[in-house]
Order: sequence, then C-alpha cells, then structure tokens
Amino acid sequence: MGIKEFCFKKSLWVFHLSAGSCNNCDIEILDLLTPRYDVERFGMKLVGSIRHADVLLVTGIVTNKTKPRVLEVYEQAPKPIIVIAVGACPCTGGIFASGYNFAGPLDKVIPVDAYIPGCPPKPEAMLAGIMKLLSPPAPQENKA
Amino acid sequence: MNIEQYNAELKGRFPQIKGIEVVNTKRLMVHIPQEALAPITDYWFNQLQYRYIIVSAMDSADGYELIYHYSDDKTGWIMNLNVLLPHDKPEIESMTPIVYGIEWIEREIMDIMGIKFLNHPLPKRFLLPESWPEGEYPYRRKIRKGDR
Amino acid sequence: MGKKTIVPIGPYHPLLEEPEFFKLYCDGEIVVDMEWETGYNHRGIEKICESKTFEQVFYVVERICGICSTSHPFAYANAVESIAGVDIPVRAKLIRSIVGELERINSHLLWVGLAGHFLGYNTVFMWAWKYREPVLDMFEIITGNRNSYAMFTIGGVRRDIDETKAAQLLKVLDDVKKKTDLLVGAVMDDPVIHARLKGVGTLTAKDIHDFGSVGPTARASGVAIDVRRDDPYAAYDMVNWKVITAQAGDVFAKAEVRLLEMYESIAIIQQCLELLKKEEPGNIKAKVKEIPPGMGLGHAEAPRGEVFHFVKSDGGNSPVRHKIRAPSYNCITTFRRSCIGGTISDAAIATAAVDPCYCCTERMVQAYDYKSGERILNAADLIRLSQQKTDALRAEMLAKGML
Repeated sequence: MGIKEFCFKKSLWVFHLSAGSCNNCDIEILDLLTPRYDVERFGMKLVGSIRHADVLLVTGIVTNKTKPRVLEVYEQAPKPIIVIAVGACPCTGGIFASGYNFAGPLDKVIPVDAYIPGCPPKPEAMLAGIMKLLSPPAPQENKA
Repeated sequence: MNIEQYNAELKGRFPQIKGIEVVNTKRLMVHIPQEALAPITDYWFNQLQYRYIIVSAMDSADGYELIYHYSDDKTGWIMNLNVLLPHDKPEIESMTPIVYGIEWIEREIMDIMGIKFLNHPLPKRFLLPESWPEGEYPYRRKIRKGDR
Repeated sequence: MGKKTIVPIGPYHPLLEEPEFFKLYCDGEIVVDMEWETGYNHRGIEKICESKTFEQVFYVVERICGICSTSHPFAYANAVESIAGVDIPVRAKLIRSIVGELERINSHLLWVGLAGHFLGYNTVFMWAWKYREPVLDMFEIITGNRNSYAMFTIGGVRRDIDETKAAQLLKVLDDVKKKTDLLVGAVMDDPVIHARLKGVGTLTAKDIHDFGSVGPTARASGVAIDVRRDDPYAAYDMVNWKVITAQAGDVFAKAEVRLLEMYESIAIIQQCLELLKKEEPGNIKAKVKEIPPGMGLGHAEAPRGEVFHFVKSDGGNSPVRHKIRAPSYNCITTFRRSCIGGTISDAAIATAAVDPCYCCTERMVQAYDYKSGERILNAADLIRLSQQKTDALRAEMLAKGML
C-alpha cells in the first residue's frame, strides 16, 4: 500500500482553514465534534496548528486577501497532507464566482485531493467524503 | 406620529431643505444640500436621539447619492438624509465629529465608490486588498445623464 | 509606562471560525489599544446582487452568513415588498416568524456553547451544540436543509407547514425548553461564572448610542430597542412577547439577555403555531407581477440585532443598488470601548460577548493597518489564558469557602 494509506491507517488530525467563507460549512465541521456525530471516537480531532495536521480542510471562496495565507499554510504543512475542499465555494466558487474579489477556486491555488460539494454539505456527507478518500482501493483495480 | 406637523417643523428649522417625501410606510426621505448635513445630523443624532443605522452610497445618473439612514425607535420611522454630490467633485465633510460610529462606513465608501470625506480621522484603504489598483472603484456604474 | 507588547488573535484558530486578525496593544497585563485588519471575507455581495434578478437575490443574501441565514432574506423581503406595496397572506407571515424565531434559538444556543468554550467549560460547549441538533432536524423537516433554508420568496414563503410538522415542532420546543432550563441553571447560578463575567466588557448606554449598536449588545446595557416591537413586521404584532433587557452592560448581562430571549422565542413559535391552525393551508404566497421603480428600506431583528437592507429599483428585473448592513457592523466597533482597560485574559470573552459575525460584517468592513510590534502570544494562547483565569478563580473561591 502507498505511503498515504500507511500513514493514515491511524487517527487523523485535522486543521480547518476558512478562506473567506460564509461560516455555514465551518459550523457544520465543528458539528462533527459534537456528541451527535462525535468524530473524536474515530480519533479525529481539530488541531490548532497546521504543523500537527494530517488533513487540511478548506472552506470558503479564496478571496484576494486570503490567497497568500492559503499558500502560506500549505507551505507550512508537513507533507504528505491531504487537502479537502469542503463546500461549493472552494470547489467552484459557488454563487460568489462572479464577484470581483474572487481568486479561486481552490484547486487553482493549491493541489486538492477531495471535493465535498454542498451548500453546506451535511456532516454525514463530510464523513462519507473523508472515508471514501481513505478507503483501500477495490481488489479489481490492482490487477492492472 | 403626525408627519405633516413634523415636516413643517423641520422645514421651519432648516430652510435649506430642498424637499421632503414619504417614500413608503414609515419611511421619510429629506433631500438636502451638502451645507445642511452637519446641522441636521446634529439635531437628529444629539437632540432627537435618533439611532444611527448606516450610510448608503449610489452612483446615479445625476450624481453620487449619499443617503444617511437613522431610526426613530419610539415611532418605528426610518428617517433618511439624501445628499447629491456632483460627479466631477465627489467630496463632502466627514460626519465623524458628530456621529462617532460613522467612521467605518465612510472609509468603506471611500474605497468602493471613491467619494472623499474631508477631515476623516483615518482615511486609509481597508476592505479591498493592498494590491487593488488605485482609482478603480468597483461600485461605480458610470451611467451619466444623457446616456442612451 | 511599561513595555508595550502586541498580542495578535487570529487569523486562524479552530474555534474562531471566521478569519479576522486583531492586534491588542498591551502594557503588561492591561489592554491599552486595539486594532484589527479584515477584508478577508469580502466577496463583493452587493455588487453580485446587482446582476441577479430580485428572486435570485434571496439565495445570495442567505449565504452572507450561515447563522443569520433567515434574517437577511427577511429584511430584504421587507424592503422589496414595501416597494411593490404588496401585503402577504397571514399564513406566510406566521411561517416567516416561526422560521425566524427557530433561527434565534439556534443562534443563541451556538453562542452559549462558544462562550462556554472560551471560559473553559467544554461540557457547556458540547451540551449546547448537542441541544442544537433537534432544532436543526426541525429545520430540515420544515425547510429541507439544516442551514440556508431558501424559505422566502417575494410575496410569501415557498413551503408550507402542515399539521404533522407543526406537531413535531411543538414536541421539539418542549424539549428545548427543558434543556434551556438546564443551561440557564448551569450558567446563571455558577459563582465562578459570575466572578468571571460580571464587570467585564462593560458598555454604557452612551457607547451604544455613539456606535449605533443593536440587538442583545444594546439591550444588555438597558437600551430597549427591538425591531420586532418598534416597527413590527410579519407576525410579531399578532402574538404576545416581551423585550428582554438587562442593566449592567457587561458580558454577564449579555449572556442573560440571550438565554432569556430563548424563552420568548419558544413562546412566539407556540403562539404562531396556534394561529396557523386558523389559516387556510396552502395560501402562502401573494402574486407579485413586477417590482415598480422606487426605494425600499427594510429591517428585521436578527439574533445579533437589526439587519438593514436598502434596495433601489428602476422597474427592471434586478436591483440597481442593494445596500446591506449587518448588525455586527455597528457592534464590533464597540470593542474599542469594551476591551480597552481590561486584561488580556478577558479579551477573548469580551470580544465573543457581542456575538460577532464576521462574515456578515466582512462585506463592508474596513481594515486598520498598524505596523510594528513584538509578538509574544498567539490566538491559542489567548483562549488558554482565558481558561486559566477561570481555573485560578475557581481555586481561589474554593480556598475561601465560597463554593
């Protein structure tokens, strides 16, 4: 198995970055910590510094002002790091794509490993997205 | 509130008022020249104790319209002062000495509409990033009177 | 004067969901000055609205902020419907009020959780956010989504509330009431919280007037302003409820106002559901052919205060100008009066007390650009300082036998 799968077999530490969001997605991410979804039982927790993180969750359209910060955070992140774009905004810009302060979408700024669309995506959708990203590939795919 | 009585009294106090209209239910619009802005603001904010809401800026065909919104919470009326600035000279005195909280919105309007507020305590760029080009005001529509 | 140090909070911290960057200038332990830089969230929404139709603008404004998701469409609907001169059906007014008040309960519970975390009461954070879940479930049942409900349209609402949903809502409200009692007991009667929050971040009635502050921030300083009572809209003049005020103006008063407002919201929803039974089901939208030229000034009471929308129409399909003022715009400015003079460990809770919603404010917030300074503490340190102060206070009170 690849180094990503090897490293991430255990619990994931997540760093959340808001690059100009309306806060809907951010609150749904925090909801994951609360007793109903309780991702801490999977070992996932939110950390305060990118240097301790395995996963970078980004929400929000990337505005002109947050773009340098997003790049800076990505530079500081220990590699390998999984980058997940949460919500319609970092995926494509959503309804704000026609604004004059739009500097995204996220994959034009940093490489993205997974997209979780939704406005906002439900916590179940976020969990499903992370699990899908980390599940081992199905046996047939290894034949080639 | 007896609006006719109120209008008559206001016009009596400030004869420079160009016009008063009731725009919608409980919404009053008072059109004034630049010079009358400070005295009426002082009267409304300090004497009548109206609550400061915000200032809107519009780029109309006749000029830049600045609308100062105040609320009379006792009656539920929203009272507005409408000042028209000419396109070639968009300058007006800052109201920060009278309404302390107006500082922010004046800086915002300077950034997005390019109207100059004279004697503003901190006239620096804010909302838009540092790299935004000077002289580019995103909210100007550039439609002028006589355009087809 | 001692050495001045700068303590930055932000831009990113796990529990400050939105990016903003404060600089506190400290002289030892005391905060002597404060500046901040924003513009990170500026998305140019007012300009985007000029290129959408009047109906599409609803979906843009409800994404200004996740928590005030109903309040912005409410004020915008008030503004546009006043231009069109249309009176909406009573059933639509009741449904609008129900959704608005549910959102208020949701927002205040969220705030209680965050405040609990800043003080070091992580259990309060977990409880409060757990009790939000049934409310979010009700939103999903009534509107189809946990946030960003898309309930409003010009002339009324888009979905009806039938008998089954109304019955489910009543059950959830009973549950929320019991949980609110629990939270009020846990928070209001705790002597450590009294010691921690009383006298911190005080704002006088004059401060409120100077900045034009609104909402619980104003009501906690004795200024009894509430758009629902001063300029009634929707169903607020059809039901009985009180405007909650406090006199002290400190963080404790603000918490008290928010907690007690939840009871009023529950009462309003229960009365609206009663009145809903008398209205003909299905009559939820008035026909509006077009928006004539004119100006509309609409406001609504969001959980954080008065949200104000100014819409100018020239008879076309889109607004010519749409000016949006969120309540936090006039409340965040009060930080200069509430934080300065206090200690660094109180800064975190004093700023959280006005329930700042940076994404509402960000579309038109300005940046103060201060240079130079030495950095000794970061954001996580400040929250930790606040939590440590609570622990120290608790230990002191235990030693004195006050607990």
